[in-house]
This record gives sequence, structure tokens and C-alpha cells, in this order.
Amino acid sequence: MKAHLACARMEFRVALTYRTSYLSSFVMMLLQIYLLTVVWSAFYDGRDEVDGVSLSTMTAYATLSTLQYTLVSPWRSSPIDQRVREGKVAVDLLRPIGFPGQMLAGQLGWASAAVPVLLVALPFALLIGAGQAPASTAAAVAYPLALIGALLVNQLLGLLLGMVSFWTLEVSGALMAYRFVAQFFSGALVPLWFMPGPVRAAAEWLPFQATAYTPAALYLGQVEGYGMAAALAVQGAWIVALGALAAFVWSRARHRVMSQGG
Amino acid sequence: MPVIEVADLVKEFRRPKRQEGSFAGLRTLLTREQTVKRAVDGISFQVARGEMVGYLGPNGAGKSTTIKMLTGILVPTSGTVRVAGTVPWRDRARNARQIGVVFGQRSQLWWDLPLRDSLWLTGRLYDVPTARFEEKRRQFTKVLDLGSFLDTPVRQLSLGQRMRGDLAAAMLYDPSILYLDEPTVGLDVVAKERIRAFVGELNRESGTTVVLTTHDLDDVEELCDRIVLIDHGKVAYDGAVAELKTRYAPHRELVVQTDALESVEGAEVVRREEGKVWLRFDPARTPPAALVASVLARHEVTDLSIVEPELESVIHRIYADRG
Repeated sequence: MKAHLACARMEFRVALTYRTSYLSSFVMMLLQIYLLTVVWSAFYDGRDEVDGVSLSTMTAYATLSTLQYTLVSPWRSSPIDQRVREGKVAVDLLRPIGFPGQMLAGQLGWASAAVPVLLVALPFALLIGAGQAPASTAAAVAYPLALIGALLVNQLLGLLLGMVSFWTLEVSGALMAYRFVAQFFSGALVPLWFMPGPVRAAAEWLPFQATAYTPAALYLGQVEGYGMAAALAVQGAWIVALGALAAFVWSRARHRVMSQGG
Repeated sequence: MPVIEVADLVKEFRRPKRQEGSFAGLRTLLTREQTVKRAVDGISFQVARGEMVGYLGPNGAGKSTTIKMLTGILVPTSGTVRVAGTVPWRDRARNARQIGVVFGQRSQLWWDLPLRDSLWLTGRLYDVPTARFEEKRRQFTKVLDLGSFLDTPVRQLSLGQRMRGDLAAAMLYDPSILYLDEPTVGLDVVAKERIRAFVGELNRESGTTVVLTTHDLDDVEELCDRIVLIDHGKVAYDGAVAELKTRYAPHRELVVQTDALESVEGAEVVRREEGKVWLRFDPARTPPAALVASVLARHEVTDLSIVEPELESVIHRIYADRG
């Protein structure tokens, strides 16, 4: 555990060394929050509610999913394919801790560098009226749990996809397709409640909703009471299932390590 | 008692067979045909504790592939490896704690962060107690002269500095075995010398076992008593450096500075230049002392020396012979 924490801390520091990209991501995020607020207001066109969802809830959802996106994003899904291509896996395999654990720890460390950004962005969002307090005490308690769950599901999916590169070497095409599908079905762009029946059904059976929709919907009270526990349980089930699958895939990938170059 | 035991080691790489003709790219993607390349083809050798062994071979001979199996990075196709009682790929993490590895071509340091951070991580990964860590870091900072660039991001280091950093990271947790894969590649003479001195001292003072692959035979002559030479994935020679020279280059040369020398019994004149004559002889048939005596008896000699064959030319001959 100490070793994993150390790996996470290294990636955290790396994320902070790229100050320009760090700051520009911050500016982009504020801009996006503002624009989404404008777009959803235009979409509501003066109505207070659409399908029982108020405009303020909707803009708060858009803000929340944008903020979460800096932590949980399919765009930084996994460093594995690049490390395989460049032969850096050899170095990872010299360290006295497991490979998937190292990758996960590093990713979580990198993601945690976004936390300071979130702490600054949150008051700004509230200021322009794009934010909302948690719907209830239960929601306030459930939200951080769901956010950690979202982080884990997203990273395990990325880990699985990254390990495919041990077979194919090249996954950038598949990654593009994955990111599009993952982003759409996560509910980060359009919440599940506005999706048409069959699409919503598909989204509910896929793991991606656990990465964005679940925490945001819990926070805003769109999922309540028994539903909250069920949503967290579904997240937990995905973590267990994806974790087991990742362990299995790694046991196979281990024999496929080729280590490019030298 | 050998610390590294390798027996009948084989590694094959499979790749989908590259198709030719129209839609070649697409057909390569879909084909089930594979080409198999045997990078390592039945290698066996042992290394005793405290030994320094040069593991040599031309490019593509299978050196790096072997090292990667010894360190647990690659899983062999068949054969066995035991390193101090562990099977490296099966017990990778445990094996990692007893070995230090430096790849000349690939750094293990964190590219974007100062060298200090990478050393800190190494201490954490290998559970080095804080006091011990501080002591080791002080020691290496002095011996490898890291002080001036400890706080520089690794990407800004020169190759020589980076290699010293890599060596420090590899030895920070006192591993009993050190693998060096082309540690001096691309370095200038001074940097090479510094690395050799460090490795030699480690071996003398801590009894570290060293396996060294290199194309720079000066590394080997300075550090190793024994070499394992491989070619086309097989062991071509395993034994002492001196023995290799007598086997593949039995001749010595006597260089004599003299005015006139036509011929000497038991030796052959191979070169004449600026008043010097090179005489080639086989020490097994013509004892050097007798040759020197007979030259001195008949000629006015101002200077004289016996030249040992260089490892470089010996290895060159072996490669050339095997085609």
C-alpha cells in the first residue's frame, strides 16, 4: 500500500509540473460550465420544468458532470498502450509491485491533481447560479462515495482497454471509439433521464453510467432513498466484476509482454 | 553454489505473418498465419555469487531478451531460470527486491520530475528504512557525484548524468545481483570510466554479482574475468577471457625497434614501419624468452615489447568465422 501511494504521489507531481495545461484545463472548464448553462437555459425556453426536471436542477447537473469530468474522464483512460508501444513496460515490470496496481495507483494520483481545481471552480459555479447544494444529507454523504466509485469504474475500464494493447500493440483507433461511446453513455453530455427509452435501457445496463450519471444524480436527489443504495450497489458490482476481469486479462497478458526495442 | 542458474532457455516471438499483394494491410490484420522467431534458442549457463560475467553477442543475438527473462520481465517459451532460489517471472515481485537493473537504452527514472523524486520513490517501493535511505543517498551522491543535478528534472540531464542516476536508483536498496544492459552506450570516455569504477567497487566491497551486456569490450576487459558469448540465440563460448584469447587468437606479437632485421627462427615478420618490426609467434611453440634472447643476440635493439591480442579483434574473428 505504501508503495502504491508513492506511485500515486509521483504521478500527482507530474500532473502539477505541466502548469500551462493544468491552468488551461481550468479555464476551459469554467468556460464550459458557463456555456452549458446558456445552452440548457435556451433549451428550456422559459419553461420551469421539462419531464419533471427543473432548469436549475438541469444546469446544476451540467455543472456537476463538467466538474467531475476533470476527475473521471475517458480521455485519460490508461497510459498502458503508450508504455507498451515505447517499451516502457519493461521498467514497470522491474518494480516490486504488481503491474495493474501500479498503473491504477498512478492514474488515481494523476486524477487527484484535479481536486484543487474543483475546489476553486465550485464557488465560481455557485456564483453564476449554475450550482446547487446537495439535495439532502443522505445525498451529501452518498456523493463522495459515488464519486470514488465512478473513479474506480472509469479506471478499471481504461485498464482493461489498455491491456488489449499487449495483443494488438495499437489501440488508438479503438480508444477513439471507446471514448465516444463511454462519454455518451456515461450521461456526461445528456443525463439518462432525457434519453429515449431504448437508449436509456442500454445506458442502464452498461457500466459507463456509473462513471458520471450515478454521482451527479445522487447529489441532485434525482435518485433517492432505496434507489441510492441500489445505485451504489450497482457501482460496487461493476467494480468487483471489472476488477476480476482485469486480473484475469492481466494473467493472460503477462505472457504476451514483448517489450519493444533494445 | 551458483546464484543464477539458466537451463535450456528458449524464447520465441510470434507475429502475424505479413501478407503481400493487394489489401496486404487488411489481410495481415485478419490472417491466422504466424511467423515464429527464436530469439533465444536453448541457452544454459550458471553464475556464481560475487562473479562478474560479460554477456556478449552481436546485435540481435538474444542478449537483451535473455536479460529480460532473468529479470522476470519476459516469460520464457521453455526452459528454466532460477535466481537466488526464485523463478523470476513467477515470483516477479520477490525477485525484483534482490536485483538491480540498469538499461542503457531506457531509463527507470521519472522523466518529468527531479532525480531526487525518483530516488525517493525507489526507497518507498523497496521499503528502505528512512535512516538507511538517507545514508545510501548521501553515499551515492558523493561516489557518483550527483550533487549538482539532484534537483534537475531527469529530462534535462545529460546521458552520463542520467546513467549515474539510474545506477544510484538500481543500487539504493542493496540488491545482491546487478544486471547492466549496455550501461556505457553513448557515453564519453570519462563517463564510461566512472561507471566502470563504481561497478568494480560494488563488486569488491559488497560482493555484488554482476551480469553485464555490452558492445564496448573495454568494459569487459576491465571488469569481467569470464564471458558468455552468444550468437544466433545459442552459447558460442563460455569461459575465462584469457582462455578465449588463447583459443581464438593463439599468436602474440613481438615489436622490436631495430635498424635491420630480416628474419628470426620461430616467428614471422608481419609488418615493418618506421624502424619497427612486428614479429608474430605462437607462445606454445616458441617460448617468448627464447625468441627475445635470439633477437637480442643477433641485432642491435633499442626497444622491445610483447603485444597481447585485444579482446575486440578476438570477438571480431569469432563473429566472422560463424558468418
